[in-house]
Amino acid sequence: MSGATALSGGRRDSGIAAARQPALYGAAAIATLLFAWWLATAVPGLVPSRVLPSPLDVVARFAALIADPFSGATLFGHALVSLQRWGIGVLVAIGLGVPLGIALAWLPPLRAVVTPAFELLRYIPPFAWVPIAVLWFGASTTTQAVIVFIAAFPACIINTQLAVSGIDPILARAARTLGAGSATTLARVVLPVAAPTIFTGLRIAFSNGWMALVGAELVVGKQGLGFLISQGQINDSAATILVGMTTIGVLGTLIDIVLQRAQRLALPWRTDSVRPAE
Amino acid sequence: MVDATLKPSWRLPGAAPGADATLSFWRREPGRAQWLAIALVSLAAMFAAWWAVTRPEGLVSSLFLPPPIEVWEAFVRLWSGPYLGSTLGQHIGASLQIVIGGWLLAGLVGLPLGIAMGWWKRLRWIAFPIFQILRPVPPLAWIPLALLWLGIGNSARIFVVFIAAIVPWVMNSMQAVYSIDGLLVRAALTLGASDSQILTRVVCRTALPTLVAGARIALGNAWTTLVAAELLAATAGLGYIALNASRTLEMGILLVAMAIIGALGALFSIGMHLVTRWVAPWARAGVAA
Amino acid sequence: MIPKMEIRGVSKTFHARGGTVAALEPCDLAVAAGEFVTVVGPSGCGKSTLMMIAAGLEAPSTGEILVDGKPAGPAGPRRTVVFQRFALFPSETVAENIAFGLRVAKVARAEIDQRVAEQLALMGLDRFRDAYPHELSGGMQQRVAIARALVVRPDILLMDEPFGALDAQTRTVLQEEVSRLQRELHYTVLFITHSVEEAVYLSDRVVVMSKGPGRIKREIAVPRDAEWRGFEIEESGTHASFMQTKREIWELIRAEIVRQ
Repeated sequence: MSGATALSGGRRDSGIAAARQPALYGAAAIATLLFAWWLATAVPGLVPSRVLPSPLDVVARFAALIADPFSGATLFGHALVSLQRWGIGVLVAIGLGVPLGIALAWLPPLRAVVTPAFELLRYIPPFAWVPIAVLWFGASTTTQAVIVFIAAFPACIINTQLAVSGIDPILARAARTLGAGSATTLARVVLPVAAPTIFTGLRIAFSNGWMALVGAELVVGKQGLGFLISQGQINDSAATILVGMTTIGVLGTLIDIVLQRAQRLALPWRTDSVRPAE
Repeated sequence: MVDATLKPSWRLPGAAPGADATLSFWRREPGRAQWLAIALVSLAAMFAAWWAVTRPEGLVSSLFLPPPIEVWEAFVRLWSGPYLGSTLGQHIGASLQIVIGGWLLAGLVGLPLGIAMGWWKRLRWIAFPIFQILRPVPPLAWIPLALLWLGIGNSARIFVVFIAAIVPWVMNSMQAVYSIDGLLVRAALTLGASDSQILTRVVCRTALPTLVAGARIALGNAWTTLVAAELLAATAGLGYIALNASRTLEMGILLVAMAIIGALGALFSIGMHLVTRWVAPWARAGVAA
Repeated sequence: MIPKMEIRGVSKTFHARGGTVAALEPCDLAVAAGEFVTVVGPSGCGKSTLMMIAAGLEAPSTGEILVDGKPAGPAGPRRTVVFQRFALFPSETVAENIAFGLRVAKVARAEIDQRVAEQLALMGLDRFRDAYPHELSGGMQQRVAIARALVVRPDILLMDEPFGALDAQTRTVLQEEVSRLQRELHYTVLFITHSVEEAVYLSDRVVVMSKGPGRIKREIAVPRDAEWRGFEIEESGTHASFMQTKREIWELIRAEIVRQ
């Protein structure tokens, strides 16, 4: 089927076999890559094992790291420390960012007050704050949490503000005609409608925080997944690095999946208020 | 798609400033002049607070937060003479080279790949899972691997910037093509356009704003990652300046480096928004990826 | 007899880039208690602006709105609005949407339940009381919006092209329902529409506005006891007096549209 016909919604193959096709292709692609990887490392002399360990080496290293401590903790130990720091950072970011975002959306003059400072600071990448954070807070968990906060905060505040100001203004008007005051309208109408969008923004913030944490842990600290992979590099162990990277990626994905589930459970309503079903 | 650089719409679209006199002052959108006035006062207040707090008798020692004058002196120093072996211009140039180089390389590979993935479903089925696996790994996490494989030279940093930029390039380009309204394609078919004509004339044109948005996000990612890479392993560049300044407790230089990093990041973002407006003037302002 | 609502000398000028735009010239309009008044006019004549000012959602540049002879104050449940785009709260069920105005006014729980049940029955929504708006068709959503606006017992009901977003069949059904409700319950209504036929069918008085900047051009009474009242709109439309009134109004509007 030509690309154009497919995009335009043309004839689709029907049947269960067709529905499974994407998954089959995907699985085949990944399997092929894994096989090629293994092949490359199985041929002696083609690739030095310090540069690219074989898949089996990586799995072995994974098991080893779960069982025995490396650079101060097992894999779980490092992961837990990372998660802790991340948790603290994002919680503070949400605690400050969401109320502030709501306030900015609801009270326009406030935006004029906050915008200059915010815009000035926003473009400094979270990681660029690491040197100054280390000087201020030392090489401790606080520094890491602060970097996570700096990474997550802008997304929290901006997305919350966009979510609240982006809802159909007609809803606020309808609430006013029914006698609701400003506070009631905000609490009873605007926030529930904006909640799913706010939550989606929070997921982005969480993800930003996780990504920034890894970077911070590369530079500072004696534990954590970022520390683990930097130790892997120092010890010339590509397998360790790969285990670390995979764990970071897997955890990041898991977090997002859990959050998506939570969002669907807690906020089941849709926010496109003016689309009739027919 | 994780968009970490959402541009805030500080003015509500469509709201006439000062309009809607039925709302109280705090709920009303300020007029243009009012807005400027409030913003300037706010800025001045923050600057005054900074100065007051870092005075010799102030609350904060200059080791924690240098006073404005120290930052200015640091800027002048960086501007006028070499620092750590290169002039400011050379440092900025070193950073820019790698960021733009890595970003363009990623675009060269990622843009066609993404468009192709959006257009041909089999390619999408094959390639998309691979990128889905790549995406959750933070670009910064590739740095140790890059150092191991490529050493401390430029190539390691370009590699990491490339990885950081390619995912947004590919994913956004794919999404831009994939989410084209099928109706437009059908209309083109009925007017006799061939597949390749539809691809170039209709799809790519309509998808242009989203494609540029993808480029913008990729550039943001690339810049963030470069700064990190320079902090870890470099001999020149803004990140390198920042790292050294923090080690030698030259707080003024550190703040200037951070400010320049931020300014360049802002320039990139604003520049890309202008490109969007130039390339696709019909697109609504503020379309996020 | 003090009119229920009076629009007195209301005009509206917008400030746009580079100057001012007059949307409404000073208008005077009185709506008596139990009267159904419809405003029609060419597109852009400012009838929606007039409605928003009447509802208290926009401030007039000159003039004032009086309810029962006294200044109307800010927007509130004395003048509820049914919008063209329904404006139902998507995070609340049908029953919760209808109850909204009562909850805000802190009416007792038992009374809320009773009044909501009444409205649900009146608008034929019993089956849908726990559905969310996005699960309902357009016609159903608008019924919920009308119920929500009526349950608070407003002094006057404002309806801003309420059937404009519905397909022709649903629109006909709802027009007949509104007509029936009006004959039974005699609400005070200010209604805006593009459709002259709808205006004649539903109203006691039709107000024709001029082209923008709008002013009130003419008011045309539609007798309450006209022989076509009480029939379905298709049927009513065939009566001579109906067609006569419709033509009269349409001519006025057409003259406005082509006027330079």
